[in-house]
Amino acid sequence: MNRRSFVTAISAGTLGTAIFARAEKVFTQEKNPVAPSDQVRLGIIGAGSRGQEMIRHFLRVPGVHIAGLCDIYEPRFAATRKITGEETPIYRDHRRLLEARDLDAIVVATPLNLHAEHVITSVQSGRHVYGEKSLGLTLEHCNKIVEAAKQNGKHFQVGHQYRYAPWFQEVIQRVGKGEIGKVTHIYGYWHRNASWRRPVPDPKFERLINWRLYKEYSGGLTAELGSHHIDFANWVFGAIPESVTGSGGIDTYRDGRETNDNVQIIFRYPGGRTFTFSSLTDNAKAGAAAWVYGKDGSVEVTMADAIFYYEPKRSSPVSDVMEQGVRTGATYSIKGEMPYRGPGTPVKLPEGAAGNPNFLACKSFIESLRNNARPFADEHVGWASGVSVYLANRAIEEGRRIMFADHVRIK
Amino acid sequence: MNDNICPWSRVNHLIIAAVICFAATSSSPALAAPNQIFYESRPAMGTSFDVYLYAPNRERASQLFEAAFDEIERVEAALSNYRPSSELSRINASAADAPVVTDPEVFALLERAFVYSQKSNGPFDVTVGKLMKAWGFFRGAGHYPSSEELARARGQTGWQRVKLDQRTRSVFFLVRGIEIDLGGIGKGYALDCVARVLREAGVTAALISSGSSSLYAIGAPPGKAGWPVRVPDPLDRTRTLSTILLKDQSLSTSGNYEKFFQLNGQKYCHIIDPRTGRPVEGMLQTSVIAPEATDSDALSTAVFVMGPEHSARLLDSVAGTSAIFVTDKKGMGRVVQVRWPNQAKNAAQLIKTEER
Repeated sequence: MNRRSFVTAISAGTLGTAIFARAEKVFTQEKNPVAPSDQVRLGIIGAGSRGQEMIRHFLRVPGVHIAGLCDIYEPRFAATRKITGEETPIYRDHRRLLEARDLDAIVVATPLNLHAEHVITSVQSGRHVYGEKSLGLTLEHCNKIVEAAKQNGKHFQVGHQYRYAPWFQEVIQRVGKGEIGKVTHIYGYWHRNASWRRPVPDPKFERLINWRLYKEYSGGLTAELGSHHIDFANWVFGAIPESVTGSGGIDTYRDGRETNDNVQIIFRYPGGRTFTFSSLTDNAKAGAAAWVYGKDGSVEVTMADAIFYYEPKRSSPVSDVMEQGVRTGATYSIKGEMPYRGPGTPVKLPEGAAGNPNFLACKSFIESLRNNARPFADEHVGWASGVSVYLANRAIEEGRRIMFADHVRIK
Repeated sequence: MNDNICPWSRVNHLIIAAVICFAATSSSPALAAPNQIFYESRPAMGTSFDVYLYAPNRERASQLFEAAFDEIERVEAALSNYRPSSELSRINASAADAPVVTDPEVFALLERAFVYSQKSNGPFDVTVGKLMKAWGFFRGAGHYPSSEELARARGQTGWQRVKLDQRTRSVFFLVRGIEIDLGGIGKGYALDCVARVLREAGVTAALISSGSSSLYAIGAPPGKAGWPVRVPDPLDRTRTLSTILLKDQSLSTSGNYEKFFQLNGQKYCHIIDPRTGRPVEGMLQTSVIAPEATDSDALSTAVFVMGPEHSARLLDSVAGTSAIFVTDKKGMGRVVQVRWPNQAKNAAQLIKTEER
């Protein structure tokens, strides 16, 4: 395959401002407030565990009604109707769902390989779309989604919900203002101690339920877990990577799966900046977090909070060893090498404002529709992390460094 | 991962493991028994959740444990009042400003909790959040409140001060400062949710518990009539008050020993009577059996506050319930049973057993 065939010209203008935004508070502005009682009717394509969770969050937004469910796994209809609390119309083919007249927007929460087909047909049907991350399984999928949203003039919001978390936004603002000095490194990790394999009532449903474990449908840990961290690094650095290297393997759960059960990825960004990501499935000590390292301090960001730490001021970094008035070396002390284990300075949030990032993302999407405002985590945000996921997995698979410029181009 | 077969050493509460272990040892490969028992425990909702389940192998058991604990996490993420990102925290933070729309599941649970407030005429009240804080039982080890603190907390308590609108699925606090605390029903609800998930995954025998407060039995161990469960004597918890068999049922226990503090020789337990604003006195322990853990959890708290003399109508209102009370009579226990399946043992400290 000619690698150049993957090259896509995405202009900076097309890419939009979102991934480079230094994050003003990004809840959409209420230009034309619409009464919360005005209904927004959503159709759901993909009513599995993630789709069901998003339905719960959308139903917490005033005026949202789930008007249709589409899936190919029969038991999900009853389970999802319990969540909607009504006999929501069901569809076994997304094209039939899209023929329904009473839908304002579509939520796509299907396996990654289906995102492109489901998002593109949804915007072509004239609906706005909330699409789960990662954007698409391949570069082609990612590019086509961006083009389809543009051509059809519909809003698209990608499921990078942490863009809507107030503590993430505050970190971006404060880091952008230089509070921890020049940022050169981000370390992100999502470590779990579980196989990632879900119970299957019948072996014939193995690939349907455990799609995350098979390359035909999934980008594995890089896509399902790492894409959030990748999006965060893109956001902090205000850029997409220049190159990526990585490793990974199926080393713990040799159970027929095809996607790695551990990955380690290094992205290099313009300006000599680096983002390192790790995902394990056999040790959960570290959990999920990202550390932003600057010359003057660090910040740890998690799914629930963020904590700043500051580097000690060092006017005299080493003590000289003097022998008979002659400097012969520097003393060695472990003091400066030990990890700092004291308290940091948590990001303070007004009581009750912390919120759930999923809910805030859903609420913001509905506000985008009501106000006809572009979502903050739009298709360009999704494209930037989506192509990074794809190229990282290729770097792991091919065992080499991949240059982004060989595959994507930002004019 | 605490993944053991036959977890004798970890049984520290209500569960009797005798039958569990016999069943497990009988499932040797030579006998070609289809299932073994597996066990895992993880911290959640401020306590530990224990799951015992029968599965054909460890791999399958691990998947089921993941599904079970994922479900507990899902419920906790929605209902915790310790997590600022929970749906309950969002409701508590905003419902005094304007009605807060919530999803059907959370709304239905709130409705169910308020039905218990209505049925009990107050003793079960999920708006006790401020009273729990005044008495130091939220993130604390207890604290005797001043009369001003108590008066303020009582002014911010009362299920009648919350308006649930079914049409809009919204929650509105008529008084600023109200806080909903689902501590009296949430863990039971989580057990029911886990039971549903395990059943959907094909599990036919499991026992799930949340700390020492509630447990739910799916089916029974192979060849057995039910899961044996020990209800402890509250005056000496190493002794047994009653042993029962549970099958597709739940058991919840409320005790004055779970969280309490002592001041000037007086014991103050964490179960508050919303009518007086003070910890319940004169009650040592209540246990309730019900078809669903949501109900047994709420009922064990409600009847702990109400006492055996005033609980009959409430217990009668939920089909399939039974209860056992141990009240405190000058340091001695008095046992009262309501449709309880087994006669309580006459433990040394228990002076009288009554059937109502």
